[in-house]
Amino acid sequence: MMTTGDTTPILELHDVWLRISVNTREARTLKKAIIHSVTGGALRQTAHGTEIVALRGVTCTINHGERIALIGHNGAGKTTFLRLVSGIYHATSGRFKASCPVFPMIQKSFITGAELSGVQAAKGHYLLMYGNLRGFKQYLKDIVEFSELGDFIHLPIKGYSEGMSARLLFALLTSGSHDCLALDEGFGAGDARFFERAQNRLEQFIQAAGTLILASHSDSLLKQFCKRGLVFNQGQIVFDGPLEESLSYYHEHCC
Amino acid sequence: MSTAANTLRYAWSSRRAWWFTATARTRDRFARTTLGSFWLGLSNLLSVAVLAVVYGTVFKVEDFRSYVVYLGIGLVVWNAIAGAVQSAPNLFRSNANNLKNTNIHPIFYSLEEWSFQVQSFLQSCGLVLLVLTFFQPGLPLNLLTTGVIPLVNVLLFIYWVPLLLCLLGAHFEDLFQLVPIALQLMFLLSPILYEKKALGELSWTADLNPLYVVMNSFRHALIHGGFEVTHPILLLIGNLFGILASIHILEKQRKNLPFLV
Repeated sequence: MMTTGDTTPILELHDVWLRISVNTREARTLKKAIIHSVTGGALRQTAHGTEIVALRGVTCTINHGERIALIGHNGAGKTTFLRLVSGIYHATSGRFKASCPVFPMIQKSFITGAELSGVQAAKGHYLLMYGNLRGFKQYLKDIVEFSELGDFIHLPIKGYSEGMSARLLFALLTSGSHDCLALDEGFGAGDARFFERAQNRLEQFIQAAGTLILASHSDSLLKQFCKRGLVFNQGQIVFDGPLEESLSYYHEHCC
Repeated sequence: MSTAANTLRYAWSSRRAWWFTATARTRDRFARTTLGSFWLGLSNLLSVAVLAVVYGTVFKVEDFRSYVVYLGIGLVVWNAIAGAVQSAPNLFRSNANNLKNTNIHPIFYSLEEWSFQVQSFLQSCGLVLLVLTFFQPGLPLNLLTTGVIPLVNVLLFIYWVPLLLCLLGAHFEDLFQLVPIALQLMFLLSPILYEKKALGELSWTADLNPLYVVMNSFRHALIHGGFEVTHPILLLIGNLFGILASIHILEKQRKNLPFLV
């Protein structure tokens, strides 16, 4: 197991398993092979029904300041790992200890309903993060400027195009900084014209994070931000080491 | 118990966020109407007026003024409780995206929905009570004295009962179909349009109906005043226990919620 950073562990996982009960009729009737390809976990029948093993005996320590790349094909367990360390999922068994809050950047929707305006979405998000509205005016100005929404910010989100919604959400989530960031590559940034500006903001945002856990299929993106790689396969960490070695391992053994 | 305490701490620290999003929803609901949230009270008043005339005639009511007050308070409180209960089974499902992708505690969504229901109730109840004061001038005084604890009971009740239903609804989809039917039956079996004594030998059914018990405690305090506090205090203890129990169950179920919605 590899560790870098300042050797103060902020996330410790020891033999962590995540088993998900599948109760839907579709899951009961789908063939194992299909579910296997979607989830990456092993499917098994228990006394309580069908169960997917999404994480299998995951053991690792992430220190403060580390830049971790999560590598693996679709359904290998990367996003599940992000959800687990950020507190969305809870381990079924094993020991998991987080010494600081982990901010998940996986979401693709606002905390407010689509019938509310962009300003209201921004205010709700701000109140949830800071608990008060001190500094909100400046925050909103920054959001409007960056998302290029102009007066559309006062209109209901349900009237926005997909690109406008994505730009606003991106601007909201990349404002401020976080001690530990769990970022999924699939997190969108809107239309092509916006993409370049979004990349710059995302880079600044990632640089400002104390610790980074980044799930991506892009080697260049991972090389840009990460030093250490965790290779996932079928819900297990099959390799943990320096990024270059992790990528080599992935391309040799998992592709 | 420490996790329940942490949950309550989170609920308190995020209070401005959930109250704000609920307020925004309330405002948005009537954004393009001329009368705004006045409609909340007006729709209740219209129901009270029509039902009072119809059922006052059907039941050959002798004291029409008292009947209007009795029916008006009963109906507005029942509508608030029924509204909160009816929206409950689908609450987590409608927030599925955020439950799966953010680490916002699920209690946030229950509190946001509760705030929305409380705001709707207070606005509609306020207007209805204002009009009913013409029929019984002592209502505002009773509300501010003996009505306080029963009002708190109504507000607490419309938090924890819907929360339990949310959690059950995430497991059992049938609940979504069952709740409206059960509410309709409970409404017909509850002495809201008629007096309890009209139930005759079946009057015990009303005492077993928790929705009616909470509603009637408030209505009784407003209409009759007096300083009977034992019953409201017992209800308050029951409600506090209900809140702690529902939060405890929420904590236990929290890990399953992202997979159930």
